[in-house]
Amino acid sequence: MVKIGIMSFAHMHAYSYAACLKQLPNTTLGAVWGENPRRAKAAAKQFDTQYIRDINDFLEADIDGVIICSENVKHRAMVDVAASAGKWVLCEKPLAPKPAEARRMIRICNRAKVGLGTAFPCRYSPALIEARKQIQGGEFGDILAASCTNHGQFPGGWFADESLAGGGATMDHTVHVVDLLRWMLGREFTSVYCELGNQLHPEEISTDDLGSLHLEMEGGIQVSHLASWSRPKSFPTWGDVTIEFIGTQGVLNVDAFNQKVDVYSDAAMKTEWAYWGSNIDLGLVADFAKSIEEEREPSITGEDGLRAVEVTAAAYKSARTGKRVEI
Amino acid sequence: MNVAIVGCSGMGRLHAEMIARCGLNIVVCADANAEAAEALAATCGAEVSTQGKRALARKDVDIVLIATPTPFHLEYILAAAKAKKDIFCEKPFCRTVDECKKAIAAAKAAKVKLFVGHVVRYFQEFETLRAQIAEGKIGEPGFAKIYRGGIFPGGGKSWFANYKMSGGVTLDCMIHDLDWIRYVFGEPKRIFGQALMRGGDDPMDYAQVTMRMKNGLIATVIGTWAHPSGFRVKAEVCGSGGMVHFDSADAPLRAQKRDSASGPNMIVPGSPVAESPYELEWREFIAWLEGGPAPRVNAHDGLKAVQMAEAALTSIQTGHPVRL
Ligand SMILES: NC(=O)c1ccc[n+]([C@@H]2O[C@H](COP(=O)([O-])OP(=O)(O)OC[C@H]3O[C@@H](n4cnc5c(N)ncnc54)[C@H](O)[C@@H]3O)[C@@H](O)[C@H]2O)c1
Repeated sequence: MVKIGIMSFAHMHAYSYAACLKQLPNTTLGAVWGENPRRAKAAAKQFDTQYIRDINDFLEADIDGVIICSENVKHRAMVDVAASAGKWVLCEKPLAPKPAEARRMIRICNRAKVGLGTAFPCRYSPALIEARKQIQGGEFGDILAASCTNHGQFPGGWFADESLAGGGATMDHTVHVVDLLRWMLGREFTSVYCELGNQLHPEEISTDDLGSLHLEMEGGIQVSHLASWSRPKSFPTWGDVTIEFIGTQGVLNVDAFNQKVDVYSDAAMKTEWAYWGSNIDLGLVADFAKSIEEEREPSITGEDGLRAVEVTAAAYKSARTGKRVEI
Repeated sequence: MNVAIVGCSGMGRLHAEMIARCGLNIVVCADANAEAAEALAATCGAEVSTQGKRALARKDVDIVLIATPTPFHLEYILAAAKAKKDIFCEKPFCRTVDECKKAIAAAKAAKVKLFVGHVVRYFQEFETLRAQIAEGKIGEPGFAKIYRGGIFPGGGKSWFANYKMSGGVTLDCMIHDLDWIRYVFGEPKRIFGQALMRGGDDPMDYAQVTMRMKNGLIATVIGTWAHPSGFRVKAEVCGSGGMVHFDSADAPLRAQKRDSASGPNMIVPGSPVAESPYELEWREFIAWLEGGPAPRVNAHDGLKAVQMAEAALTSIQTGHPVRL
């Protein structure tokens, strides 16, 4: 039985990971800690596990690994203490706002001889797995270009507080797609140009709520990516992950979460999409548990997290300087 | 009023139909390729010419429609202005901004009317998007994305595959959307672009462009001539209070023929309207010639659209953003 604890419920994905831990065989949610005691206590109750108030007590508890779901800027400090306590770590994305912090996290985990994983659950999406298989099987020839989106509704709270998130929508919604393209095409990113917008939630936030990125990958693959909180409250779902791949032998379109039933309910007075696709978090959490059992790195590593953070940081630099930035 | 058509294939044929619907008379069909001129002339009882400049200067011609490949627009505009004919020119206005300037100056000096066919301004779906935005349905707009394209026009041997002539998907096709974005959101500040522009027997182009407008709005435009088949347009605009979205794949007609040259799986969506946008541009143009108000798009707009496309092409070539 692999025992895993959760550190912080600041990021809503923590609730999904907790549910996965309960659902998977041979894993348990061993304990919960959080800087916000009330929120952590409520989560412990919801998932029927112990809440530990003191972080040192939590780290001494009988758990093998931790999933860290704090605000982005707090990831590094939590990884530090968890790794020093000998725990395997799965960290929510982005690994850290700054590449230097992500590098340090990798170093600390290496030194402590614990595994470090980055939460990129999209790699467990059956649609994306199938797309990768077809692309790598050469069914579309050489991939020359890709046009991507990761749109979302405005999540509110700390996500748009630069001092906690390290940025806005571009920080939040770039890393998934960057990681997917690296994973699917087996190439690294070499440059980025970025325009940042902040006109969609003018009253509420001061960070960017939209990033329009133009990137290049090794081999000259041309990529555009839209990272945004542009979906209005009335939108039928949270957002999307889409990629159009242009290959020498054809075009492949992925709309990763386009498995839904349209729901028209007078009670809601807006159209909603009921998702029936697979739970991608389950694969991510299962791999993490397995990596602990087998004492290996999680499949999606800290390095993967770092590579994505490097691209995001370069995008912000590009927006600041008005220039294309080499990565 | 009598019309001379110069350039008698794809767009020439389409315009001939619109011209007839508007009750105008086509007197001569001119094309460098005699067969093309003959084929079109036969459908409208017009005379045939392979000498466009001579044909358009005929006494009985009032209006010249220019539907040749883009790099020949200027010479026919100059010839038509010299002959004191009013001019309907397909987009892109000309191949370069410099050429556009010459064309405008010639029309002005000759006191002839010059119209550039940015037909997307007349498409009902785009007019509806514009109206919804103007009504405040999405609050203050902050972001727009337009996607347009499909199969490479005419294949590897057509003039479209000669990027020096056509400017690729960026100048030839995306220019529709660059113009519409400027129409609705005002002037651009800077532009960044990427494009494939692959040549050879099996040419492909795929352009990805972002414009920052003076009002802060970000517009990302994708143009494709990289698809194996079909044609599709998608547009979305997001604002502080909502979003509007359109996709041409959502159409009232979807035909799937068992026996089709393009293959059994080719689905062609159809979206018929009572008044074709191409007919609407002709009606506005004719009203203008008859003393009515100026059309919603003028030659200066045509120049500005070429300027945006040129800037995008410069960025595509240099890898750096271009300030306008
Ligand atoms: N508004 C739209 O929706 C739209 C769509 C497609 C094309 N266009 C534009 O319309 C113009 C024509 O495009 P098309 O698709 O009809 O091209 P096309 O290749 O189908 O037709 C061009 C015709 O011009 C003739 N031609 C070539 N050189 C000539 C010359 N020097 N003098 C006289 N005739 C000549 C060719 O023989 C051919 O018949 C282009 O500027 C294009 O960008 C507009």
